[in-house]
Amino acid sequence: MIKDESTLNVMIETVQKFVKERLIPFEEQCSENDEIPHEIIDEMRELGLFGLSIPEEYDGLGLTLEEEISVVLELCQASPIFRSVIGTNVGIGALGIVIDGTEEQKKKYLPKLAAGEIIGSFALTEPDAGSDAASLRTSAVKDGDHYVLNGTKRFITNAPEASVFTVFARTNPEIKGAGGISAFLVEKGTPGLSLGKNEKKMGQWGGHVCDVILDNCRVPASAIIGEKEGVGFKTAMRVLDKSRTHIAAVCVGAATRILDEALKYAVERKQFNKPIAEFQLIQAMLADSKSEIYAARSMVLETARKYDLKKNISTESSCSKLFASEMVCRVADRAVQILGGSGYIRDYAVERFYRDVRLFRLYEGTSQIQQLIIARNMIKEVS
Amino acid sequence: MKILVCIKQVPDMESRFKPAASGVWYDESDLAWRMNEYDEYAVEQAVQLREQLGEGCELTVLSIGPDRVGEAIKKALAMGCDRGVHVQDDAAATKDPWQIAAIIAAYAKDQGYDLIFTGMQSQDRGSAQVGVTVAEDLGYACATTLVGFAYDNGTVTAKRELEGGIKGVVKLTTPALVTCQLGLNVPRYPTLPNIMKAKKKEIQSIPVSELLKEEPLAATVSFHPPAKKGGGIVLEGEVGALVDQLMGILKEKTTVLR
Amino acid sequence: MKALLIGEYREGKLLESSYELFGFAQQLGAETALLLVGSDSQLPAFGGTLYLADANQCGEYNPDLHKQLVLDAVQKENPDYVVFLHSSYGWDLAPRVAAKLKVAQVSEAIGLTDGGFEVGCCNAKMRRTVKPTTAKAVITIQAGAFPGLQPGGTPQVQKITASVESNVSFSGYEPAEAKDVDLTRAEVIVTAGRGVGKKENVPVIAALAKALGGELGASRPVVDAGWVEHSHQVGTTGQTVSPKLYIACGVSGAIQHLAGMKKSDFIVAINKDKDAPIGEVADVLVVADVLQFVPALTAKM
Ligand SMILES: Cc1cc2nc3c(=O)[nH]c(=O)nc-3n(C[C@H](O)[C@H](O)[C@H](O)COP(=O)(O)OP(=O)(O)OC[C@H]3O[C@@H](n4cnc5c(N)ncnc54)[C@H](O)[C@@H]3O)c2cc1C
Ligand SMILES: Cc1cc2nc3c(=O)[nH]c(=O)nc-3n(C[C@H](O)[C@H](O)[C@H](O)COP(=O)(O)OP(=O)(O)OC[C@H]3O[C@@H](n4cnc5c(N)ncnc54)[C@H](O)[C@@H]3O)c2cc1C
Ligand SMILES: Cc1cc2nc3c(=O)[nH]c(=O)nc-3n(C[C@H](O)[C@H](O)[C@H](O)COP(=O)(O)OP(=O)(O)OC[C@H]3O[C@@H](n4cnc5c(N)ncnc54)[C@H](O)[C@@H]3O)c2cc1C
Repeated sequence: MIKDESTLNVMIETVQKFVKERLIPFEEQCSENDEIPHEIIDEMRELGLFGLSIPEEYDGLGLTLEEEISVVLELCQASPIFRSVIGTNVGIGALGIVIDGTEEQKKKYLPKLAAGEIIGSFALTEPDAGSDAASLRTSAVKDGDHYVLNGTKRFITNAPEASVFTVFARTNPEIKGAGGISAFLVEKGTPGLSLGKNEKKMGQWGGHVCDVILDNCRVPASAIIGEKEGVGFKTAMRVLDKSRTHIAAVCVGAATRILDEALKYAVERKQFNKPIAEFQLIQAMLADSKSEIYAARSMVLETARKYDLKKNISTESSCSKLFASEMVCRVADRAVQILGGSGYIRDYAVERFYRDVRLFRLYEGTSQIQQLIIARNMIKEVS
Repeated sequence: MKILVCIKQVPDMESRFKPAASGVWYDESDLAWRMNEYDEYAVEQAVQLREQLGEGCELTVLSIGPDRVGEAIKKALAMGCDRGVHVQDDAAATKDPWQIAAIIAAYAKDQGYDLIFTGMQSQDRGSAQVGVTVAEDLGYACATTLVGFAYDNGTVTAKRELEGGIKGVVKLTTPALVTCQLGLNVPRYPTLPNIMKAKKKEIQSIPVSELLKEEPLAATVSFHPPAKKGGGIVLEGEVGALVDQLMGILKEKTTVLR
Repeated sequence: MKALLIGEYREGKLLESSYELFGFAQQLGAETALLLVGSDSQLPAFGGTLYLADANQCGEYNPDLHKQLVLDAVQKENPDYVVFLHSSYGWDLAPRVAAKLKVAQVSEAIGLTDGGFEVGCCNAKMRRTVKPTTAKAVITIQAGAFPGLQPGGTPQVQKITASVESNVSFSGYEPAEAKDVDLTRAEVIVTAGRGVGKKENVPVIAALAKALGGELGASRPVVDAGWVEHSHQVGTTGQTVSPKLYIACGVSGAIQHLAGMKKSDFIVAINKDKDAPIGEVADVLVVADVLQFVPALTAKM
């Protein structure tokens, strides 16, 4: 749903300009240094990017999902690491509070998250609980009006930068599955909370991921999202329904850029006395990529519209994330192919994107997990 | 203190331009629209002045054109203008600079603006006439091509960019109009929160028929791509002769040799 | 047909570009009279009527007064065209004159077509043909678009002056600042490729760039070798540029280099290899040794 088309267009134009002038020229440097310069993050903050999805009453922009996605499609024309900086505040690191938080929790955290003053992280995955997140073992034992948390969270995006973590832990050891899990807001600096070393990743250098270790970490009972035990996993799933659509949009944005790069190269590069773009085998790669991007884009926007109408999008968001993440990897692979040897060389953005986009098939539910969700929903409907 | 900044919406200059069916301007379909780059500097300077002067200063942004120019106005409002004026004109692109200036002057004449900012030219038409002509119509002091601007108590100190990077320093007494050159300042990005807030600012809509009484003075009879480059020339021979041949070609085909 | 040409003085000197006005008038087939705000110590080589105002008295930049001088001369000459250079002086003054006369102005003409004027538009990517619908017209001509032409002779000087109230006052000139290189804004780029041979030869190329008022560019190997700073590199991993004139000296024309410069308006390549791929994008390929040719060219500037 687009509330005000011309306002959205002004936003899109601004983001396009920012991407072109302030992000793309620095993406290689950020990747090489595994660090985004502070000035750029400050500029992103000033621009208001951290608050895209947070409601206006908490000083965010309160964009509808369709509007948010329209912005993300532009932002992701630059390296995905820039999106990753705001990604947790716009998505998984803040949505738990937006969706199920108490009024007090919202007032405490959302305005700061919207302004980018603090970073939020989402800590669900564990060393022994990835796809099967409901089997997580981090424990939260009640002690008076506090809980004591113990466990390790793995691969937590933006953890080194985060000030508040949405930590999923088991409050009821009797219930093995989802029903025993609660979501806690744990602040950086809480005694017992520490970080592992930054992982060395395949791609998305400049964005950081590490373990979050909870060792007798005491948090007040008021830190449970919604102050309600046992609904944490539901919160997590509702967060993911929305954020998967966002990730799908990230994939479409990146694919658009990658195809642009490949096309530009194909019309310039000459072999056998003509531009390689004139060869039908190259054309097939270009055309398949274009069609798949168009399909994914349509899926994402349609899913977002449905979300904005307050409909359940569990199936659609999984379909979008599954298709878009697989699609962007195919597009990146073809782009490397079109660039020939150059596609394998660091100086070309395509080489970097090829590594960067591989992640999208893994996190926020692997492709297989999306397939399971889609199929389960289908079967549920007929039985 | 009342300030007016005049802006134009133009296509992204990276676009491919095709002649429209009329043959006298570009086809507007499939173009992405932007605020004329020169005007971004004008808006920025006006907003800086507005911030310098604080309360009691009102900054209006004006644009002429069809509905889509509302977006350029919103951008200027998000950058810090107080109110917008949209002169509704679906045929603005066919008007000559004389008429565009006449529209602005007709709007501004009873408003008592102390200062008017415009871009030095538009990126698409590039005639560099509108600002100066508005100043003539209104009897305002005027200087063009500003790369430096300061205002104090009714006096503008302007630095004009001259050829070769030299600057000419000029003082103007208000009411005055200045045209802004690239590099005058660093235009801010309208932040997303300010874009949202701009929704609440007033945009007054005025049909062009209420303001335009002038006939055009010039007509565009054709819009076309430049003549195609011929195939490259290969020059071979003795160095002295080659130098002369190349000098001849550069003088004829380029504008950089004086 | 008659044209009143408005020449220019800057800091006491007649600007050479003023002669382009005569080149334009000749193509137009117009009789000419010239107006200058300058000094009689340096008169142009022109045998016709010269309306001469004293810059010491009238200022080099004093638009309201200069406008009056032009309007007075228009009264006397009754020209069909009043022609300015499209310069910081011309584009500032011409619209004032046109507005007062209420006649059409055509800005930055680059050519003539039957009864109309050719002008650039859309950032010089496209062209328009413009026809004034008024009996008289004010024209500004693009610098360099018409050849300079010295008619010769000694002018019949008519001293003019005017006095008007003005709210614009000129305080003086400020010299140009030394800036970091910004290749993307340069009008002329002269690029050193590996063909220049060694670091010590780079100044030869830089000298040509300077003589043309342009910037030094470099291909990647030249940068990688530490001969020139990276801010000068043109190409995929350097800058993308589109100057009015690009001169590639000893550059082979690899795709990564072409990607950065092929949108230049006019490309000259100097290469000892007639078949170097740079020839495919060059408007002129000079087959020569850069170290012989470039200094000879610079000497002629
Ligand atoms: C860079 C990065 C950032 C991350 N950020 C976060 C974060 O911010 N917060 C967070 O909580 N987590 C985060 N994660 C964790 C991510 O969500 C998990 O890696 C992901 O859910 C997969 O879990 P796993 O790695 O344990 O793989 P596993 O679950 O061990 O899966 C291994 C393989 O088995 C397949 N598989 C598993 N179960 C099934 C099944 N039932 N049927 C068929 N196939 C199956 C999977 O699809 C996969 O192919 C991040 C991961 C990475 C790499
Ligand atoms: C790490 C690395 C190591 C290398 N090592 C060596 C080495 O030791 N020795 C050596 O000699 N070379 C080496 N190469 C070069 C390698 O063999 C070339 O990169 C390869 O042959 C492709 O050539 P290209 O990169 O110029 O791509 P291009 O030939 O430009 O091809 C670009 C794209 O166009 C396609 N294409 C080209 N022509 C056609 C056509 N007619 N119809 C359809 N599609 C077409 C190609 O398949 C490709 O997808 C190496 C390259 C790399 C990246
Ligand atoms: C990933 C990647 C990115 C790259 N990015 C860039 C980039 O941004 N910019 C860039 O420029 N290159 C880039 N390159 C390198 C590019 O492929 C070429 O290698 C490079 O442009 C060649 O530079 P050159 O023309 O100066 O040298 P060469 O290719 O060695 O050409 C020298 C030329 O000089 C001529 N010559 C030699 N001596 C003389 C003489 N005395 N007089 C006249 N002519 C002479 C020769 O005939 C030859 O044509 C990149 C390469 C890769 C793989």
